[in-house]
Amino acid sequence: MHVDLKKELTGSGRGRFGAALFLLMVVTATFAPLLAGYDPTAQSPLAFQSPSLSHLLGTNHVGQDIWSQLVYGARTSLLVGLSVAVLSTLLSTIIGTSAAMIGGWYDRIVMRVVDALIVIPIIIVLILVAAYLQPGLWVLIILLSLLGWQAGARIVRSQALSLKERTHLSAARCFGGSRLYLLYRHVVPDLGPILLVEFIYSMRRAIFMEAGLAFLGIADPGMISWGMMMREALDFSYVNAWLWWLLPPGITLSLTIVSITFIGYSLEPTMEPRLRGEAHA
Amino acid sequence: MLKIEDLRVSYGTEPILNGINLEVRPGESLAIIGESGAGKTTLGLSIMRLVEGTMRGRILLNSANLLTLSEQAMRDIRWNQVSMVFQNANSTLNPVHTILDQVMEPILEHHRANRPEAQRQASHLLTNTGLPSDRFSAYPHQLSGGEQQRVLIAMALANNPGLIVLDEPVSSLDAASRAEIVVLLNRLRRDHTFVVITHDISTAAKLADNLATMYAGRIVELGPAQEVVSRPRHPYTRALLRSYPNMTTVKDLQGIKGRMTRPVTGCSFHPRCTQAIGICAAETPPLVPTRDRQLACHRGGIVTLLATRNLSKSFDSLKAVDSVNLDIEAGETLALVGQSGSGKTTLARTIMGLLEPDRGDVYLEGQKVANRSKDFYREVQIVFQNPGESLSHRLSVLELVREPLDIQGIGTPEERDRRVRQALQDAELPASGGFLNRYPHHLSGGEMQRVAIARALVLDPKLVIADEPTSFLDPGVQAKILKLLLNLQERRGLSMLFITHDLALARKISDRMAVMLHGQIIEQGPSNTVVTAPTHPYTQGLVKTASALHSESEADAPLEQPRVETRSG
Repeated sequence: MHVDLKKELTGSGRGRFGAALFLLMVVTATFAPLLAGYDPTAQSPLAFQSPSLSHLLGTNHVGQDIWSQLVYGARTSLLVGLSVAVLSTLLSTIIGTSAAMIGGWYDRIVMRVVDALIVIPIIIVLILVAAYLQPGLWVLIILLSLLGWQAGARIVRSQALSLKERTHLSAARCFGGSRLYLLYRHVVPDLGPILLVEFIYSMRRAIFMEAGLAFLGIADPGMISWGMMMREALDFSYVNAWLWWLLPPGITLSLTIVSITFIGYSLEPTMEPRLRGEAHA
Repeated sequence: MLKIEDLRVSYGTEPILNGINLEVRPGESLAIIGESGAGKTTLGLSIMRLVEGTMRGRILLNSANLLTLSEQAMRDIRWNQVSMVFQNANSTLNPVHTILDQVMEPILEHHRANRPEAQRQASHLLTNTGLPSDRFSAYPHQLSGGEQQRVLIAMALANNPGLIVLDEPVSSLDAASRAEIVVLLNRLRRDHTFVVITHDISTAAKLADNLATMYAGRIVELGPAQEVVSRPRHPYTRALLRSYPNMTTVKDLQGIKGRMTRPVTGCSFHPRCTQAIGICAAETPPLVPTRDRQLACHRGGIVTLLATRNLSKSFDSLKAVDSVNLDIEAGETLALVGQSGSGKTTLARTIMGLLEPDRGDVYLEGQKVANRSKDFYREVQIVFQNPGESLSHRLSVLELVREPLDIQGIGTPEERDRRVRQALQDAELPASGGFLNRYPHHLSGGEMQRVAIARALVLDPKLVIADEPTSFLDPGVQAKILKLLLNLQERRGLSMLFITHDLALARKISDRMAVMLHGQIIEQGPSNTVVTAPTHPYTQGLVKTASALHSESEADAPLEQPRVETRSG
């Protein structure tokens, strides 16, 4: 059975909504310099301004334009989300498939490492490491990727193991195909749907984690991020600014995560029957 | 009695016989078989020295070289020492003389007796050949074919020659007369030496002690008739046997690819031979003695393509494959029959290297297969049971069939596409753009299995293991796929290991059968023997329960299975 991703995505209301919303975020992030109007880091004497035509969402405590920060914050969120998704899915794929294809001692060692990483509460480790490193954007991306592949690797491995026994892979072996060939020509493409779901969820997780860390104030303070905005806004809850300072980043973050979740939901059902290995006519 | 040494006969520049060496001992009966045009009749006529072409070599009859004798001396020998029953009785007899006169003729001609004595002898001969005495004064056209044949035999016997050459003695007769003549000839065979020329192998097997297969003016195989018929060693003899209908063979008829062409350098059969190698086109193989017969083949006759020795594979305590020894010859189908769970598929997967054997080895063309390289898979391919699973749903027909070529790195992209088209055509599928771009889920079950077959054949393997390839298909489609496989075998000389639980099916397509039970081969042999005279009780049960159209009370009884012996270890 062929999976027509586009059809599945646009086939349901949720899928359409998620896709449209996500697209909006991507466009915003891409064209941030055009949409912002101000340098989001530029300070000005005009602090605590209410929304006006010159400052759509007013300014913060150091006179930065909140709308510009919101727009640039989308950049950070999506950059972290996509980069971590790419890296951790890549790690999951490499580690999961190699464990499945090579087997033996390699498989056992890798899987024990995965088990260990799964039982360790990642968020605690992340907070500790981040607090110590005060990571910038790229260190944060690498950190999130390194701590986010294990669950995916386990799923990939178990699916690759069942794929390995499928007849069309036996057939490819009988043409003289090497393990590497089987991997890149059959296993990984066959895992495509799983990897896509894995990609979407690790993106969601990464965006959430980045916002969380920034909110806790343990990321690089120079970074423009929705989490950071919310943290700063919270400190000034006694002024009325929370309405246009705290809520907008909170809402955009929620919408981004909701859009990704909806995309994941709408794609998931099409993957499941195949992943369970049902016959395809 | 008769010794032919390096006999060469040609008409003009066209060689008909290319160095025949033969020896017939007194009292022996030698049959010469082969297609029409092989030179059988020319050989028979040469013994009578009635050939119009140029003859070289030596034909020694009772130590006299017939080729150097004067025409006068030869005339003395004909009818007296060697006589011939010519092909086509109807035109050989003189229509204006009664048959008694014609049988008397050689006696009178050679002044063996006076007229009344000759008449008495001729009557005796005709009676002896089973012709009723009221027919003696009949004219040839008043006789049936069988009766005419009796007259010719009586004539050949007239002067009591030691050697009689019979050219197609029964091939123009109906089954009943044929049987009578065979009985007659078998009686006469006790007192005479025969050279029987025929294309009818069953007649040859009935009339001869020894059998020589002729191809394009050469003898390619010569040995005891029963052995040659039951286990031919030369590819041509086997091909002849397969193309001739008889009541013993159970497999469907198969032809021989191509046509006889001459002249050919090297082995004259090599253009049609499916196991020809380089030397076959370069040098003519001599007829050399082997274990039980003489054979002219560079490869020592039909080669054993794949063999397993003590091959074993266990899953925990279950012995799925237990010390299996199988030999698969080039160009033959070996059916592996057994119920599900008998280890058939495990055996196939172990041969293909998908499973590691616990013990035992696989040999490909005599070479032990240590680790399966790409070369192994170029020679041996497998067609799996369920085409829906063996074809990746992500790939188009073109990509699927091209995959083996891509993996093996054969040819340029254009050449690969060309081979894909060829393979699809061989599998009787369209090779058009539209079909090439289809995906498996657009195809019917039969089409999918054909694609799988095309894919297995695109590397031009020598052996295809077919694991229940038709069990997912309708009977009508199944029949077509089986015909396709047989045709491919005929054209390409493909060997097949055909795995099935269906004995009735196995019988139609296999040359030999091996019956598997609890991981062991409990019986193997020529398919007709296994089906008609099974020795193992389990096989007997299989035969009883196999599909048949007539109802038998026995057939309804459940198949009794020997108890499963599970030995831990």
